[in-house]
Amino acid sequence: MSDPSALSGIRQQFPILDQEIHGHPLVYLDSAATSQKPQTVIDAESRFYEQDNAGVHRGAHELAARSTEAFEQARAKVARLVGADSTEGSEELVVTAGATAGLNLLTTAMGNASLGRGGTDARRFALQPGDEIVVSQAEHHSVLLPFQELAARTCATLKWLPLTEDGRIRTDVADQVITSRTRVVAVTHVGNVTGAITDIAPLVQRAHEVGALFVLDACQSVPHLAVDFHALDVDFAAFSAHKMYGPTGVGFLYGRRELLEALPPAQFGGSMVELAYLDRPAQYMAPPARFEAGTQPVAQAVAAGVAADWMLGVGMDRIEEHERAMTRALLGLADVPGVRILGPQETQGRIGTVAFEVEGVHPHDVGQYVDAQGIAIRVGHHCAQPVHRHFGVFASNRASTGVYNTVDEAEALIEAVRGVRAFFAR
Amino acid sequence: MADAALEQMYQEVILDAARHPHGKTDLAGDGGDEADATVHAAHEACSLARSRQFNPTCGDEATIHVEVTKDEPHRIARIAWDGQGCSISQASLSIMVDLVDGRTVEEAMDLFRDFHDLMESRGEGLSDESREDALGDATVFQGVSRYPMRIKCALLGWEGLKDSMARALAAQQ
Repeated sequence: MSDPSALSGIRQQFPILDQEIHGHPLVYLDSAATSQKPQTVIDAESRFYEQDNAGVHRGAHELAARSTEAFEQARAKVARLVGADSTEGSEELVVTAGATAGLNLLTTAMGNASLGRGGTDARRFALQPGDEIVVSQAEHHSVLLPFQELAARTCATLKWLPLTEDGRIRTDVADQVITSRTRVVAVTHVGNVTGAITDIAPLVQRAHEVGALFVLDACQSVPHLAVDFHALDVDFAAFSAHKMYGPTGVGFLYGRRELLEALPPAQFGGSMVELAYLDRPAQYMAPPARFEAGTQPVAQAVAAGVAADWMLGVGMDRIEEHERAMTRALLGLADVPGVRILGPQETQGRIGTVAFEVEGVHPHDVGQYVDAQGIAIRVGHHCAQPVHRHFGVFASNRASTGVYNTVDEAEALIEAVRGVRAFFAR
Repeated sequence: MADAALEQMYQEVILDAARHPHGKTDLAGDGGDEADATVHAAHEACSLARSRQFNPTCGDEATIHVEVTKDEPHRIARIAWDGQGCSISQASLSIMVDLVDGRTVEEAMDLFRDFHDLMESRGEGLSDESREDALGDATVFQGVSRYPMRIKCALLGWEGLKDSMARALAAQQ
C-alpha cells in the first residue's frame, strides 16, 4: 500500500483530521459534502476578526479601508483560481452565501428580467411561454429546483439531457434537446453522485449556437480540477467555498462581465444602490455590488481567498494527480462482492467521488457500519434524487476525496465495506 | 469486524424484524400524494386514514394506513404500512404494528409518547419501568437513541401512526 506521497505534508495542515472516532483514527471521505479546512484558512477567518473587521464599501476609517481591501483581494484570489476577471470595474465574481444562493440569485434575476425589469439590456435573460430551459438528469437539487421554479414562473418548459447507463450526461443528443427555443442550459461540471466529469464543450457550443446562455454548476469541479471559466466559455458558473477548503457561508457566482452588466438585481437593500428615492425608481450600482445587497460574509470571503491561494500553492496539477490516485483506489470498491458503483467504472473522465450500493443493505445501515470504524461517508440521496432514480435506487453510499486523503484510507473503507453484508445477514 | 456498540444498536430482533416485516402491505395506487393522504373511503364501523412520512436526509418513506372504529373507545381495527428504508425504520414499523394493532387510540398515543421519550433518552432508557414494559420489543431501539442522526429513522412510522390516527378521528367529526 502506498501513500500518494505527492501530497505529503498536506494532511498535517488539517487539525480536524487528527482525532479518533469510536476508537479508530478518523477517515474522512465526505469532502463532496464539505471539505475540511487547513489551519491557514481557519486562522485567516479569526485573524480578520482580531485585526481588520469593519463594514466593507462604507465608512472612511482605517479598519473600513482594510476590510474593504481584504474583501476585494479575496475576490481577486478566487478569480485567479477559476479564470475570472477581477480588475476593478471588470469583476466577474459575485460574492454569494453559497452556490445554492448564487443559482437562486441568477434565476431570480432572470425571473425579474422576464417581468421587464432591467430594461432592454436585460431582455436577453427574459423567458416567456414556449421558451425552454435545459438541465440534466444528473443535477443537484440546487440546479434543478431554481430552474424548475423559473420555468414555472415564466411558463417556460423544463427539459433535460438524459444520462448514459453509467451516469454520464449524454452529449450525443445535445442537438435534439437543445433547440432554437432553448434560452438557458444549466448543467453540472462534475456529478455530485456519479463523479463523472461532463464533457461540456459540445454543450456550450450547442447552447451558443442557438443563442442560449450556458450555466455551469462548478461546485464539484473547482475543488478537484484546474478550472478556467474563460477557457470553458461558460456564461455563468456557481461554486461554494466550503467544498474547496474554505469556510461555510460563502460562495461565488461567476458571470461574463457583459452579462453581469445587463442582468437586473435579485436582492435589494443597502450597498447595491447609487441613488434611492421615495418617489422615483432607484439607480443601482454596477456589478458585482449590484448583486451584493446587505452585509456580506466578509470574514468568510477573506478566508475563501486564502483557501484559493492555498490550493494554487499546493498546485492544481498535484491536486489532479492525487485525485487520480484516489479515484483508482476507491474504484476498488467494485471488487467487493455485492457492491455496485453508481457512475463510471473507469478512472478516466471522473473524479474520486464514488457512489455505490451494497446489495440488500440500506445506505444508512452501511454508513453506520463504517462509521463505527471511524470512516465518514455520505449516505442518502445527496440532494440528487433524479440521478438515483436513473440507477433504480432511492439512496446510495458515497465516498469522496480531498487533498488530505490517502490510498490507505480508501483501502480501509473497502475493507470495512467487505464486512457489511455479513453483519446485516447475521 | 463490528464493535459492541454497533451490535447493541443492530440487535438481532431489529435485523429480523427488518427482514420479515409485519403489517407491510402493498398500498400502491391511491394515497400517494400528501394531498391524497386524507380519508379516502367511508366505512360503516370505521374511518380510514393514511399518512405519508418522509425522511428528507435519506429519501426513506413510509405510508401508514389505519382504520379506527367510530364507536368509543376508538380502537385501531386495522393497521398496515408500505414504504422503503433502512433496517431501523423498517424494523420500527414492524414492531410498532404488532404493538398497537387492536389498541385504542388513547393507548396507542401513550405508547407513542413512551417511544418518543425512549428515543430522546440518548441511550439511557426510560426511568419508569412500567413504561418500558409497555413498549415490549420496541425497547430494543434504546441503542439507536444514542445516535441523533438515526432517531428519525426509528420514529418515522410512529409519526405516521400519530398523524393517521388524528386524520381518522378528524374524519369522524
